[in-house]
Amino acid sequence: MRSRYDWVIWGFLLAGLAITTVFVLVPVLHAIGLSLHSAQSFIAKPVWVGFDNYARILSEPTFWRAALNGLIYAGGSIVLQVVLGIAFALVLNNAFPGQKLVRGLAVLPYLLPTVVVALTFQWMMDGSFGLLTALAREMGFGIVPWFERPGTAMATTIALSVWLWTPFVTVCFLAGLQSVPQALYDAAKVDGAGAFSRFLHVTLPQLRPVLTVVVLLRAIWMFNKFDIIWLMTKGGPLGATEHLPVLAYKRAFSLFDVGGGAAVATLSFLMLCTVVAIYFRLFPLEEKK
Amino acid sequence: MTKPGKTNVSRRKVLAGAAGLGALSMFPAPAVHAQVHELRFLNAEPAIDSVRALRVAAAQYERERRVKIVVDTVPVGDAYTRMTSAIRGGKPYDIGTLIFVAHVLSLANEGQLTPITQLVNKHKWGKRILFPINGEQYWYMYDYNLCWLFYRKDLYDQLRLEVPKTWAQLLENSRKTMSTSGTQRFGITTPVGSNDATNWMSFGYLWAEGVSLFDDKWNLTFDTPEARKKTAAYLDFFAELYKTMPPGSTQISFGNVLAQFSADQAAHAPYAGRLIEFLEQRAPQLADKYGMMPYPDQGGRMAAVNHGYDGWVIGKTPLAEEAVRFMEWFSDAHYINFLHSAPLHFQPPRLDIYDDPRWRAHPLIEKHAAAVKQMQGFLEDPNIIIRSIDTEGPAPDLRPAKIFESWVLPEMLQNKVLKNMSSEECVAQAVAGMRKAIG
Amino acid sequence: MSVITKDAAMAPRTNRRMGARSLLRRVRRAGLGFAALAIAAYSFFPIYWMLISSLRDPQYLFRAPDLLPGPFSLESYETLLQLTDYPTQFMNSVIVASAVVAITLVCSVMIAYAVTRFRVPGKTLIIATMLYAYMFPPMLLAIPLYGIFVWLGIAGSLMSLVIAHCTLTLPLGVWLLWGFFKAMPFELEEAAMVDGCTRLGSFLRVVLPLSLPGIITVAVFSFLLSWTDYTYALVMISSDAQKTLPVGLASMIGSFDMRWGEIMAGATLIALPLFLLFTLLSRFFIQGLSAGAMKG
Repeated sequence: MRSRYDWVIWGFLLAGLAITTVFVLVPVLHAIGLSLHSAQSFIAKPVWVGFDNYARILSEPTFWRAALNGLIYAGGSIVLQVVLGIAFALVLNNAFPGQKLVRGLAVLPYLLPTVVVALTFQWMMDGSFGLLTALAREMGFGIVPWFERPGTAMATTIALSVWLWTPFVTVCFLAGLQSVPQALYDAAKVDGAGAFSRFLHVTLPQLRPVLTVVVLLRAIWMFNKFDIIWLMTKGGPLGATEHLPVLAYKRAFSLFDVGGGAAVATLSFLMLCTVVAIYFRLFPLEEKK
Repeated sequence: MTKPGKTNVSRRKVLAGAAGLGALSMFPAPAVHAQVHELRFLNAEPAIDSVRALRVAAAQYERERRVKIVVDTVPVGDAYTRMTSAIRGGKPYDIGTLIFVAHVLSLANEGQLTPITQLVNKHKWGKRILFPINGEQYWYMYDYNLCWLFYRKDLYDQLRLEVPKTWAQLLENSRKTMSTSGTQRFGITTPVGSNDATNWMSFGYLWAEGVSLFDDKWNLTFDTPEARKKTAAYLDFFAELYKTMPPGSTQISFGNVLAQFSADQAAHAPYAGRLIEFLEQRAPQLADKYGMMPYPDQGGRMAAVNHGYDGWVIGKTPLAEEAVRFMEWFSDAHYINFLHSAPLHFQPPRLDIYDDPRWRAHPLIEKHAAAVKQMQGFLEDPNIIIRSIDTEGPAPDLRPAKIFESWVLPEMLQNKVLKNMSSEECVAQAVAGMRKAIG
Repeated sequence: MSVITKDAAMAPRTNRRMGARSLLRRVRRAGLGFAALAIAAYSFFPIYWMLISSLRDPQYLFRAPDLLPGPFSLESYETLLQLTDYPTQFMNSVIVASAVVAITLVCSVMIAYAVTRFRVPGKTLIIATMLYAYMFPPMLLAIPLYGIFVWLGIAGSLMSLVIAHCTLTLPLGVWLLWGFFKAMPFELEEAAMVDGCTRLGSFLRVVLPLSLPGIITVAVFSFLLSWTDYTYALVMISSDAQKTLPVGLASMIGSFDMRWGEIMAGATLIALPLFLLFTLLSRFFIQGLSAGAMKG
């Protein structure tokens, strides 16, 4: 009968939620708890200090600089990923010989582990033996300071993140494009709309749901991206690429300030929560019919 | 302690739930309070020969004493994180490797280390290599990694250059050894980024000039008018030297320096004995064309090498006594075997080793006997200062470690060469950064 | 279908308009071809470089870079397999990733189904809460999580890593499948149940086959996330025998000489299974990702 199996499904739901609670919520709460203490390492006894860590962190310019860097990094990456992703999807939506192959190639970067990409690009941008360095020199750009200047370091890191994660956007959009009814395009063409206008008034609105989800996911992931920045620049030079996750890590693991690191992480978390909440207000998940 | 029964029941319930979700086979074997003793050793020398030397020793010890030794290897930068994770995870390492005196201090303060004073006192040790904490020794040093400057002897002969004794002479030589014809060679390579390599390789010039960070009372001696003046002069010199360096100095680390010197990309490079081993392996045509010199000062009176060291600690574990016995057993023939895995880079900290014919019998040590003699000389020459950021101050303390890890000095260099700030301004910011770091 | 077919089906035009049209079409096609080529080169070039660097004689890696595959040599691969515990790490990664995929699939299917079919209070809140796992910097979550595993007695085991990875894969899995199940009208299952199936039967016979693209997508994503994870693997696994590939590869950078050849070889070997997996499952992956994302 129905009821017997319903119980199984309910059981799984509750078990799943319980386990998520334990393994996600408890660490989050613990980390937030740590931010209210002071400890020199993860094996020292934490001493209660209340909001001292927060007061200290918020008064340091490094925190605000890191927050700003995080916004620049996330914002720059997302905008470029979305723009390029859509552009690629539009191109790949057409038939041409080898379309399947190019589609496959376009998705490849996303499959690579961050570590692999970081190492390969470090190798290509090596100041002495790097391929890209040599190519830039041959093409007359001289010595390109990939990571030598604060500005270029951020730009290079953003460029890498774009290369790595744009395929996510491309794939979502490609699939979305294929579900837009051709009739809408035809109607627009009859009305005399050019290609660009068709894009603005037919494609984009139809893909609004996809766009919403994609931008949200990418925003959360890019703001918290740790691997690529840590592996490429460790937050340098001069803190130009240091954003909140890197700052939290450095405080907790190198500077003998676990409480401070946890405070930075919690503040970053609160910022994201606020942004997500506002986002859900503007673009609600469920359209109430 | 909580009632044992209660904890077990709740644990079991949770585990029963988890069992439905994953292969039970992945649970680790229950922690046996061992009938067969098993020591856990955390090694931070990932080179295959070093690992092999440890494994051979472990196998031999198991044969003789029936105690198993499990060796885990991590890159040296991860050693402290791994040790603290293990302690927190309830499975501390019996023997571990640490490379920072602050890490040893922090573990000792938490009561996580076993003192080995007797073991250490059995031998005579070199200059500035012992770090007693509260009168006890916790750290069995296994090498020096002093950092000095290498230069291309063949280029010096070719261009009739003298070994520099002052900053100005070094700058001159660096300029003269640059070549733009054919494959470009730069004068010198030095890391500038905020990393361990820069802290180790780029400040020998300051120490030679007599700059220090702390005095015996923990006053910040870096913040005196004289030290500031000397540091500013150093920054002026460094800015000029930077023009003779290959591009990408903010990204390079230890390995890049080795690669650049051995590929004829730089005529001077800071390093320790590993560079010679690297040349023998990857660029044998240069293996007899190098020269070594300590960091010069401004006026030609003193010189310096940057301090470096590694050592083993014994954790506070149930098998600590056994671990100490292993260390004792190991510290003879097998220790020499371990040193031989990097014969020129692992400079012995124990003075008896230098006279030990077993150590001397290694082909590379014999071949580069002059270099070895020079390395020994660094320990004995009163005009050569041995100093490093993390060992400043009268006793092991967290303050120099905080200065080290907050990258204040590398950022000072970056401010100078990347942002072109005035030297005085860079020094002022460095002082401010130091004061902030030590709190 | 392609625009070209539609054009061809249109009513006949005058010669002049046809000539202008076909010229425009040719220019457009050339532009398209060029764009496609650019996309292919841009995406593949670093991978190409990684591949040929790994297959090049290591000595030549420290000379002026050569765009064409240079002197062929498998030395980097040989050294890699000798110097590191690559096979062990590979097996560990496979074990962990497979377990993560299995657990994630089962759990996210169940949870997503329950949330869409049953009246669960606070649905949106549940989904939003699952996002929290992504919003906290992972490094600082890893240590308390490790503490929980210690309390459970499984710290340092591959099992603990599997659970840690599941906290990352479950939210995405639930999200994607939620979209799928929501788009599937309940009438289909009702029809099956009227025919005599139980709820479970209709689930197995109707719902699962239709959502196959979504399920495969979740499987691929979970595998990817687990296979490429570095932060959790670094903290959760303490012994050499249980290291996974990304940690093993990263620790090669930690060694003091520049073993670029071996690093590129290791990188290639890590990426290889992913390429294979993707080629086999690409169709489902794209389909599933889209449908789930759209409806979510």
